[in-house]
Amino acid sequence: MAMDVVDYEIFGSEMQYVEVELDPGEAAIGEAGVMMYMQDGIQMDTLFGDGSAQQSGFLGKLMGAGKRLLTGESLFTTVFHNEGSGKRRVAFAAPYPGKIVAVDLSTLGGTLICQKDSFLAAAKGVSLGIAFQKKIGVGLFGGEGFIMQKLDGDGMAFIHAGGTLMEKTLAPGETLRVDTGCVVAFQPSVDFDIQYAGKIKTALFGGEGLFFATLRGPGKVWLQSLPLSRLADRIVAASRAGGGGGKEGGSVLGGIGLGSLLGNDE
Amino acid sequence: MSDTPVPARFYPAGGDAHGHPARLTWRGHTLTVMTEGAPALQISADALQAEARGFNHGQWALSWAEGDARHLLIVDDSVVAPLRTVMPALFRGGEQRRQRHNRRFRLGLALLVALPLLLLGAALRALDPLTDRIVARVPASVEQHIGEAVLARTRLEGPMVESGPAYDALQTIGRRLTRPGEKLQFHLAERPDINAFAAPGGVVVVHTALMRQARSAEEVAGVLAHEIAHVELRHSLQQIVRSAGLQVIAAALFGDYTALGRWAAQLGELKFSRDAEREADQGALERLAEARIDPRGLLAFFRTLARVDAKRGAPPPLLSTHPASAERSAWLETAIAARPPGTPLPIGIDWTWAGHPTH
Repeated sequence: MAMDVVDYEIFGSEMQYVEVELDPGEAAIGEAGVMMYMQDGIQMDTLFGDGSAQQSGFLGKLMGAGKRLLTGESLFTTVFHNEGSGKRRVAFAAPYPGKIVAVDLSTLGGTLICQKDSFLAAAKGVSLGIAFQKKIGVGLFGGEGFIMQKLDGDGMAFIHAGGTLMEKTLAPGETLRVDTGCVVAFQPSVDFDIQYAGKIKTALFGGEGLFFATLRGPGKVWLQSLPLSRLADRIVAASRAGGGGGKEGGSVLGGIGLGSLLGNDE
Repeated sequence: MSDTPVPARFYPAGGDAHGHPARLTWRGHTLTVMTEGAPALQISADALQAEARGFNHGQWALSWAEGDARHLLIVDDSVVAPLRTVMPALFRGGEQRRQRHNRRFRLGLALLVALPLLLLGAALRALDPLTDRIVARVPASVEQHIGEAVLARTRLEGPMVESGPAYDALQTIGRRLTRPGEKLQFHLAERPDINAFAAPGGVVVVHTALMRQARSAEEVAGVLAHEIAHVELRHSLQQIVRSAGLQVIAAALFGDYTALGRWAAQLGELKFSRDAEREADQGALERLAEARIDPRGLLAFFRTLARVDAKRGAPPPLLSTHPASAERSAWLETAIAARPPGTPLPIGIDWTWAGHPTH
């Protein structure tokens, strides 16, 4: 099946949404629950599985749905067709503060490995699969777990992650050490590994944990500045339930409390 | 010789980080690299090195040296087959590395799954010795507290009987069973189910239904001796410590699923182990012999229970925690026969108050 070429526009700064323009007959798939609005003439259709062409038959669909369950996404994907006569628009909104990045899979050799649940939307024909991380150490300490998501196809895909999302191109052999949890996506040619932080003192008091994730080129990588889990930790810590006092304007000791003297980044 | 070009990405030495799309073909012993807008490159197979790399080693890095620098080609494993059939030796090392990696992954995954199970097994094995050690350190005052708590709860749950023929009979039997210097309290609770239990601290509670169903004082004495033996051997204390330990293990295993923890702990509370029951039977026989009470009462009472069971359908609670199996009866009979036949003194209580037809 030929991929649909879509025009798009990303709006907003910290809490973004992407507006996708569909020509008559074109379609896009979205993660269930992320659609923000759509114009007249766009038909919504919910598919069991991921809506890519290779899944034929009930069993294939079931497999696709099972994979999506593993990656923490909902079992259903929603397909948005333009059944009208002119160009129509549909928008997908990011579920938490962060950035949306448009990735053209055709320029990437057709495959992208992503952090699970970073997928937002794509042109119809992009297939969502799971990529099992086969390095035990990376699965345990790399911050992304054992299950990652694989996007296959040659259309446009929109991925979303927390904070600022940066694309970096690594030259052959170029290595980047990244805080675990900050890796959002990378091309399959990139070596994703972990590295021991090296010094006990750094590991315990540096606030970066015992390991770094290392990314070795060639290939493109996408990094997020604020993983959702880190944001959630801070919110819980600051909330009444988390023992943070929850008072507006901070606690009595404010910024000079023991907590902030001893506390680190996490 | 391969005719369909293999898609690849070419990273020439000294070039930019993005690389260029390229197509590869073999011509005899020579690899031809075609890129757009540049003349085709010819590389001899002898100069090439292949390495499996990238995510799950799913990519091949073909490289060759030119001066100090190396040129690099990245080929996806799914399209590499035409190159591999021509030059299998080139890819052998990388393939072995990839297979080693897959094996290590399977082994690691198996270990990851097995490790919690192994730990659980070790924890369960360590539970019994640990329980014994903890129980040995529990002071008598704690036992006293537990006994008082159990008694208080029993009083809350329903009325107690403090006088009458059944109460008097219980006290008489209790006095006979109490060893010199021992502190045992016997309480009678008005309950419709046949049951008796002993709590730490020497608190023995008997339900009125048990008194009524028993055919003689000796039967009651047998049951009480058994229950007292449980306390003496600190079986219930062991159960308490054990279930606390199980709760800790369950909490560690399932996270904070308190319901699961409680469920797991209750499995342990259901009944004493078969060994504990035998120990208690042994202890009961000794106590009965010391008190010069006919030990066959214990045996007879389990027969009485079995009769009630057959009549009612639902087993009385005492029977469900003390299964009157044929094995147990046989063991009791041999144990009784093996003891020196003392001359039992009848307890001498007129049991007609219970209203059974006289045999």
